[in-house]
Amino acid sequence: MPPRIPVRLHEPLRALKAVRIRSYATTAANPELYDVVCVGGGPAGLSLLTALRASKTTSNLKVALIEGQDLQNNQLNNASPDAFSNRCSSLTPASVKNLQDIGAWSHVDLSRVQPYQEMQVWDGVSDSRISFDWDTARTPWKPRTPSQPTTIAYMIENINTTTTLLSRLSELGGVTTHSPARVESIELGQETPELDLRSWPVLTLSNGKTLAARLLVGADGANSPVRTFAGIPSRGFDYNRHGVVASLKLEGLGWGGKDHKIAYQRFLPTGPVAMLPLPGNMATLVWSTTPERASKLKSLSSADFIAMVNAAFRLSTVDLDYLHTLPEGQQDEVAWREQHTPINNGNVPMKVLNVQEGSVASFPLKMRHADTYTGERVALVGDAAHTIHPLAGQGLNQGQGDAAALVRTIETAVLHGQDIGSVLSLEPYNSERYAENNALLGVCDKLHKLYSVQSGPLVPLRSLGLSAVNMIGPLKGFLMQKAAGIR
Amino acid sequence: MPPPRLTSPLKALAKLPRPSTSSALRRLSHPLPSHKVVLPPQPHHASIRHSSTSSVDPTEVSHFNALASSWWDPHGPSRLLHLMNPLRHTFITRCLTSIPVPVSASHPKTYRYLDVGCGGGIFAESAARLPHTSSVTAIDPSSEVLAIAEAHKKRDPLLTTSGRLTYRNEGIEALPLPATEAEQFDIVTLFEVLEHVNSPSEFLEKLMPHVKPGGWLVLSTIARTWTSWAVTNVMAEDVLGIVPKGTHDWRKYVNEGEVRGWFGGREGWGEMRTMGVVYVPGLGWREVPGGEGWGNYFFGVRREG
Repeated sequence: MPPRIPVRLHEPLRALKAVRIRSYATTAANPELYDVVCVGGGPAGLSLLTALRASKTTSNLKVALIEGQDLQNNQLNNASPDAFSNRCSSLTPASVKNLQDIGAWSHVDLSRVQPYQEMQVWDGVSDSRISFDWDTARTPWKPRTPSQPTTIAYMIENINTTTTLLSRLSELGGVTTHSPARVESIELGQETPELDLRSWPVLTLSNGKTLAARLLVGADGANSPVRTFAGIPSRGFDYNRHGVVASLKLEGLGWGGKDHKIAYQRFLPTGPVAMLPLPGNMATLVWSTTPERASKLKSLSSADFIAMVNAAFRLSTVDLDYLHTLPEGQQDEVAWREQHTPINNGNVPMKVLNVQEGSVASFPLKMRHADTYTGERVALVGDAAHTIHPLAGQGLNQGQGDAAALVRTIETAVLHGQDIGSVLSLEPYNSERYAENNALLGVCDKLHKLYSVQSGPLVPLRSLGLSAVNMIGPLKGFLMQKAAGIR
Repeated sequence: MPPPRLTSPLKALAKLPRPSTSSALRRLSHPLPSHKVVLPPQPHHASIRHSSTSSVDPTEVSHFNALASSWWDPHGPSRLLHLMNPLRHTFITRCLTSIPVPVSASHPKTYRYLDVGCGGGIFAESAARLPHTSSVTAIDPSSEVLAIAEAHKKRDPLLTTSGRLTYRNEGIEALPLPATEAEQFDIVTLFEVLEHVNSPSEFLEKLMPHVKPGGWLVLSTIARTWTSWAVTNVMAEDVLGIVPKGTHDWRKYVNEGEVRGWFGGREGWGEMRTMGVVYVPGLGWREVPGGEGWGNYFFGVRREG
């Protein structure tokens, strides 16, 4: 018999305090029964609920959403085309297709989505370079067909993704939403003469409601209270790096114009710096660097910060080391040094003119992977299951892939009359997603480590590898398909 | 005795013991000559042959009780049965859809199920959850196993809906014969039971009146071939010992051709469907065309009408 302890303390206590889980001696006598209760209204959780509501097979399930923030206020609303959230993601064609399949993509604000057709990636130490676009990634003797994709991925603000999903969800209806509401406690239910809920998680919310879940989905982020409840350990490490983000305005649309947008990523020994295109002259920055440098960058004046971003794509690592030691005045120093550095403009992003006020922020980079995604009446999706290095822009896509796979698993269970919360029903979800996510986590981790090396035999080797891949079209095509989420 | 753990690739054919059904069948099998049908030779175990008066072998009861408690353990000895369960629905759906039934839009067709030898309720529960099910009656003469089924049913509020799933602690012969068509069943299932039956023909005859005209009798069992003998008896029981000795009596296995031939000679029974399946470690149960000739198989027969 499972213990009736409210929350099993396998995780550090701080995780619990952060979500204010409290223990109660008893469960409310009459919780409302749901088939699926999803904790967390981020892109993964919303995608899961939308798919469940959109699918004929699962639309009879009674579902609920619990989100700590107010979902009504956290939506894209008459946003200016010159102002972008600093939390953007690169949606792969596979994720977009999934959003299309569940009827959400037609709700997206396309004016704030930027597809890009080319990716320039280079080694900050050796300057060895690889360029990805679908045209060079084909087999040389095969002509291009019109049906071949041209888009590598779509840059989109996370708030645009969640607004899109919420819009589709409200169209579908049928989700009991508690927002803003915190999860105060999760504990196993009780047995009455009629019903045995001892295997059902029962959630008590800050608004006083109690819900019992046939299947409890943790889409509740890296410090997932659901994962803590299930007693599933999550392992990993901190990179001792921070991701500095900012919304930027460039001097133009980009070297390829409006219809050929280019993403840039330069691997510096402190971590990769990426400039990703947004509509118009806008771009978003993700600069992985040491915590000290991150706080230095955040402390700079706008002019100096802009100079440092421009330098990050242009100047040598020696120059950059020096620039980080200056308390201020980077603007002048960079201007002088640029004159003495040969720069091929086509190889670097257009110059940054402006940084959007209040958009410079940073967050610590982590690698985490839960031991399993499923337990009795529990499934984890998105960051609750895994946290990845942002260098490949796969975090949000993994969450979308999780949600889609979990819905397929639930569909199969419903079609065969299985209890959707049983361990056996959930097994296929875990076996499908765990290995795939683990591989991606590993690849991104190794890339990070490979490019952290500043000198020695690894530098020419990795450069040789990059140049070789660049010349072999089909291999490049294969890598691009993997990155795009095409199987 | 601890429940058998099936960990070998050979578990494909190693049928899990069905305590309820074997005890059930022992209780109701009569030592009548099987003159109506060509079926496997009768067993020689005295305890089984003369079981019509006594109920169950006491040494087996403790063994069944041990099994009962782990019936719903997803990694326990019944794991293979759990994994096979979706295929049962696949096969039933295939049988039902192979003969189109006129359906009126205002009254979509719903089905009454009778699950014979339901054990812990793996199939009965799943059938009761399906949207097109009006009711499931599940019978098993083993009260220990049925207690497990009843307790597990309470975990799902859907199943406790009145009339959705009814367990009856009795053998097929104790089930009242239907007086009207409304009391008959659209689908009568007999999963992993036939191989434990002493007199299969007699047993099947008892089931047949419960099938509604136009309804299906669906069963799954295992063919009596050299492959199954080698795997389930010699390897699983004698060599590896992963299945308790005496769990399977290979001579009781029934071949698909025998069932088919027998129903072919019955008045009022027509369409027949078969599906051979095999357990592939790492992949699960898979359909194998022709597998009914040498291993586990499903068999469905439709009552005309």
